[in-house]
Amino acid sequence: MHSGRAGSSRRYFAVTWLANNMDQAHIRNFSIIAHIDHGKSTLADRLLQITGTISEREMQEQVLDSMELERERGVTIKASAVRMQYQAHDGQTYEMNLIDTPGHVDFSYEVSRALQACEGAILVVDATQGIEAQTLANLYMALEQNLDLIAVVNKIDLPAAQPDEVAQEIEELIGLDAADVLQVSAKTGQNVEQILEAVVRRIPPPRGNPNAPARALIFDSHYDSYKGVIAYVRVFDGTIRKTDVLRLMASGAEIEPVEIGIFNPDMQPIDVLTVGEVGYIATGLKTVRECRVGDTITQAANPAPEPLPGYKQAKPMVFAGFYPSDNDDYNDLRDALEKLQLNDASLVFEPETSQALNFGFRVGFLGLFHMDIVQERLEREYDLDLLATAPSVEYQVVLRSGEVLTIHSPADLPDESAIAEIREPWMAIEVFTPEEFIGPIMDLVTKKRGIYTSMEYLDQKRVLLKYEIPLAELIVDFYDRLKSATRGYASLDYHFLEYRPEKLVKLDVLVNKQPVDALAMIVHQDEAFHKGQRLVSKLKRLIPRQLYEVPIQAAIGKHVVSRANVKALRKDVLAKCYGGDVTRKKKLLEKQKKGKKRLKMIGNVEIPQEAFMAVLRLDDDD
Amino acid sequence: MHPTSHSDPAADAGSPPPDDAALALYLHIPFCHVHCTYCSFNVYTRRERLIRPYMAALRREIALVAAGTSRAALSVYFGGGTPSLVPADEIRATLEACGRAFALTDKAEITLEVNPEAADLDLAGLRRAGVNRLSIGMQSAHESELKLYARLHTQSDVEHMVRRARAAGFDNLSLDLIYGAPRQTLRLWQESLRAALALEPDHLSFYSLTIDEGTTFERWLRSGRIPLPDPDLAADMYEWATDTLAAAGFEQYEISNWARPGKASRHNMQYWRCRPYLGFGAGAHGYAAGIRYATVLKPEDYIARIEAQSAPGPFPFSAAVDWVERIDRKTAMAELMIMGLRLTGEGVSYTDFARRFGISLDSVYGPAIAPLKAAGLLASDPDGRLRLTRRGRLLGNQVFMAFL
Ligand SMILES: Nc1nc2c(ncn2[C@@H]2O[C@H](COP(=O)(O)OP(=O)(O)OP(=O)(O)O)[C@@H](O)[C@H]2O)c(=O)[nH]1
Ligand code: SF4
Ligand SMILES: [Mg+2]
Repeated sequence: MHSGRAGSSRRYFAVTWLANNMDQAHIRNFSIIAHIDHGKSTLADRLLQITGTISEREMQEQVLDSMELERERGVTIKASAVRMQYQAHDGQTYEMNLIDTPGHVDFSYEVSRALQACEGAILVVDATQGIEAQTLANLYMALEQNLDLIAVVNKIDLPAAQPDEVAQEIEELIGLDAADVLQVSAKTGQNVEQILEAVVRRIPPPRGNPNAPARALIFDSHYDSYKGVIAYVRVFDGTIRKTDVLRLMASGAEIEPVEIGIFNPDMQPIDVLTVGEVGYIATGLKTVRECRVGDTITQAANPAPEPLPGYKQAKPMVFAGFYPSDNDDYNDLRDALEKLQLNDASLVFEPETSQALNFGFRVGFLGLFHMDIVQERLEREYDLDLLATAPSVEYQVVLRSGEVLTIHSPADLPDESAIAEIREPWMAIEVFTPEEFIGPIMDLVTKKRGIYTSMEYLDQKRVLLKYEIPLAELIVDFYDRLKSATRGYASLDYHFLEYRPEKLVKLDVLVNKQPVDALAMIVHQDEAFHKGQRLVSKLKRLIPRQLYEVPIQAAIGKHVVSRANVKALRKDVLAKCYGGDVTRKKKLLEKQKKGKKRLKMIGNVEIPQEAFMAVLRLDDDD
Repeated sequence: MHPTSHSDPAADAGSPPPDDAALALYLHIPFCHVHCTYCSFNVYTRRERLIRPYMAALRREIALVAAGTSRAALSVYFGGGTPSLVPADEIRATLEACGRAFALTDKAEITLEVNPEAADLDLAGLRRAGVNRLSIGMQSAHESELKLYARLHTQSDVEHMVRRARAAGFDNLSLDLIYGAPRQTLRLWQESLRAALALEPDHLSFYSLTIDEGTTFERWLRSGRIPLPDPDLAADMYEWATDTLAAAGFEQYEISNWARPGKASRHNMQYWRCRPYLGFGAGAHGYAAGIRYATVLKPEDYIARIEAQSAPGPFPFSAAVDWVERIDRKTAMAELMIMGLRLTGEGVSYTDFARRFGISLDSVYGPAIAPLKAAGLLASDPDGRLRLTRRGRLLGNQVFMAFL
C-alpha cells in the first residue's frame, strides 16, 4: 500500500480536524474491492472529493494511483490508504479510513492485507459487465475476514448499463438483497454520497480496547532514505504516541519513532494514533529486515502479551532469475530487492548463480503481470538494468533415493538417472464467460493439457466453466489467449490444487555447443520435440548474427531434437562517411554500441534479453 | 610504400595539423529539381530562384571566414544537392572568390558534382573557370532502377556527359553507383558496374543503399512497396566489385572509393585523415581549430544570416554557423581511428598516431584492437600501419564501435 504521494511536500487545506483523534464509535475502516477496471479508483476519487479531502485543484483521475507505472498502465498495483472526514446526515462527523485496492488477480495479496485492516468493504460491480472472476474471489476474501459488505453497481451512466439485472445477479450469486444494492456512477458522482451514508450505518466501528497495551498491525511499508522504514499500521488496541519507545514484536527491534502520521492522502504527521485508526510510523530503521509486514508494534514499556495474528506469507506461483546486466550491480540489485520487498510483501527471492549469467536472484511472483511490474519497478525506482530469465513453476522431484527436492529453476533439475518422478503444480481454474465462447475456451484448455471439470449457467447467457490445468501452462500465455479467444469477455480466477506426477523432461539449449542453463526448460515429454523445434527457430531469429557462425541446438539428455545455425555476419558498415557525416555517423555507431551492450555475452556469443523469454511464446504462429 | 608519400604534407593521417595546415573547402549547393527517393541530404526542390542570391551569399561567407586566417586551400568541392544547376559564371565567380580568399594553388583539386541530365551544362566554361574534376551521379545503368530512385537521367545521358567532359578537357572523372538496393540482383549490379567501366572513369564511388529516416524509401519500406535489401547479397556485390576493379587496374583507397593511380580524391582524403576543412553554404559542415561545426539548414535562413553579417567572426565561424562541437583529445583519437581506418590503403599509422597525440596507439586502443585482430577484421602490417582486412571492410561498424 502506498500513501498516495508518500514523501511529497504538498499541503491540503483541510488538515486541522484530521489531527483530532475521533472517539472509536465515529471511526469507519473500509476497503473498496472489485474485479479489475470496475471503477474502484474512480469511486475513491469521488469519495475524496465529496469529503473535501482533496481540493478541486489537486484532483485528477484515479488520484490514488500515484505510482508512475499505475498511471501509465491505468491499473492499480498498490493498495492505498487515505483518511477522510465525513459530516453525515445524522449531523455527526465520522473519520473514515478508506483503502483502494487493486483488482488484478496477481495483486490479491494486497487486497487480503488491506481487508484485515478493515471492518467493512465496498464491493463494486460494473453495470455493463456483471459479476466477474475477481468479483467473487475478492468477495470470498472479505467474507473470510467477517467483513460487512456494501454492494455497489457502478457505471450506471453508460448506455449499456443494466443496473437492475446486475443487482439481481448480486442477490442470486452473492446473497445480498438486491434492494440494498446501491446504483452509482463513479464518473458523474451520481448517488455516490449514498455510499458514505451506508458506510456510516452498515459498517461497524472498530472493536478493540483503547486501554489495553498498544497493538498495531503493520499491513504495508516503504523505505525512505531520511526516515528509514515507514510502517503503515492499523491500531487494534491502545494508543501509539510519537514520544513512545516502540517494539516490533517479531523482530524484537526497539525504536523511537522519527514521526507518526496519517495519509490524507499525502503523509501528514500527527502526535497520536488511537485504537481503530490507520496511519504510519516512521521507524528510523535503516535495515529493512527488522520491520516486516504482518508484525505487531507495541510499547516497549508496556508490551502487549500477544501479537496480532499477522499474515500468511503469499505463496509465489512463478519464479524467474533476475540478473544485473552489469555484474558489478549485484549488490545494488540485492539492496533494491530488499527495499522493494518492503513495499511489495508478496515478493520473495534468494541468491542464485547461473553459469551463463553469473550472480543473480531467483525471484518468486504471484503471476506474470506481477513479475513484469517488479522488473519495471526495479529498473525505474532503483535505476537498474536487468536481465530476466523465462519464468518457471515450482517442481517436486522425487529421487530414486526417496528424497524429495523442490526446485524453482530447470537448471536445478538433477541428472535424469537419479530421478524417480517429477511432479508439477496443477491449478483449479474458473472461467466466467458468455456462452458463445465455450467452444474456443474448451479448445484452448485442451491444447494446454487442461481437464474439464464442470459448467454451470450463471444466467441465460453466461456460464462458469471449471477446469484443472498445469500451472506451467497457465503462466505461459493462457490469459492472453483466453482474452483474445473471447474478445475480452471472459475472466479468470485460479487456485492451487495439488502436485501431480507427469512425464516431464528437461530440454537443454546449447548455443555454440555450450549448454546455456538460463535457457533450459522443463516440458512435457509429448511436447518436447515440438517445443524444441519452436524454441530453436525462435532463438535463431532472436540471436543477432555474430562474427562467427553460431549453432543452436535443443537436446533432451544427449539426444539433439533440433538444430539451426545463426549465419555469420557478413556486412555491417556505413557505406558513406564524408565531412558532413562525422558526427551523425558517430552517433549511429554509439547507438549500435549501446544496443550491443544490452546483449549478454555468453561464452563468446551475444544473446539478447528477448531470447531468455522466447520460451513464453512457443505457440506463436510467426 | 603506399600510394601516398610522406613528402606530401597532406599525406600523413596522424601528425597534428599545424595552425597553417592547408584547408579543404566544401561548398554546399542545396538545390535539386527532384528529391530522389533514397536521399536524406539537406536539399530543397523548387527553390531555383534562390540560386543567384545564394551564390552571392556563399562568396560573401567565404570572404568573411577567410579574413580570420592566412591558410592556403588545397581543394574546393561543390557538393549537393545539384551543383550542376548553378550557371558556370556563378561557379567561376565563386572560385575566384576562393582564390582571393585562400591562395588556391594551380594544383588544387576542384570538384563539381554533376547530375547526368544537365545536357546544356557549359563544361568548357567550368573547365576554364578552374574546375578540374567532375563527380557524376550515375547510380545505375538500368532504366528501372533509375526510375525507382526518381533520377531524372538515363544511361545515355551519362555516356553523353562523359564524352562531353572528356572533350572539354576533364582528365579526372568520377562515377557514383548504388548497390544493395531493393530488388537489385547481382546480375543487375554487374551490368551497371561494367557499363561504368566501359566509360573509362578515373575514379569510382559505390554506395551501399541505406534506407534513411525521412526518405521516400523509408515510407515505401513501411508500406511494403519495397523490400528490405538482403545484406548478404550486398556483400556479394561488394566482393565481386572489389575483384573486378582490381583486375581493371583500380586501387581501392577507401571503403567505398576506388581510383586509378594518383586519382584518389585529395579533398575527400582530408576528411578521412581528420585534417581541417571549411564548410560553406546552408547545412554545410566544417572541422577546423579543433571544432566541428554546421551551418543553418534552410537556404533562405542562410542567405539572411550572411547578408546581415557585418564583420568577420572568430575563425572558422560565420554568422551561418548553427551548431558547434569542440573535439576533445579523446574524441579526436576515436575519430582518427574511425575515419582513418576507412582508408583501406593507408590505414592508420602507429608512428603518426603517437606523434599526433603523444601516446602510443596500443596503449590507448590495444585492448580494443586485439579481439578485432583475432576475429580477422584488423591487421597491423609490417609497414607500421593498422588496416581493415578484406573481411573487415564489410564489417567496419564492428571495428569502429570499439573505438567509441
Ligand atoms: N462511464 C463510466 N466509466 C467509469 C466509471 N467508473 C470508472 N470508469 C472508467 O473505468 C475505467 C477503470 O476505472 P478505474 O477506476 O481505474 O478502475 P479500477 O477498478 O480502479 O481498476 P484497477 O485498479 O486496475 O483494478 C476507467 O477508464 C474509468 O474512467 C463510471 O461510473 N462510468
Ligand atoms: S541524390 Fe543528389 S540529386 Fe538526388 S535529391 Fe539527393 S542530392 Fe539531390
Ligand atoms: Mg484502481
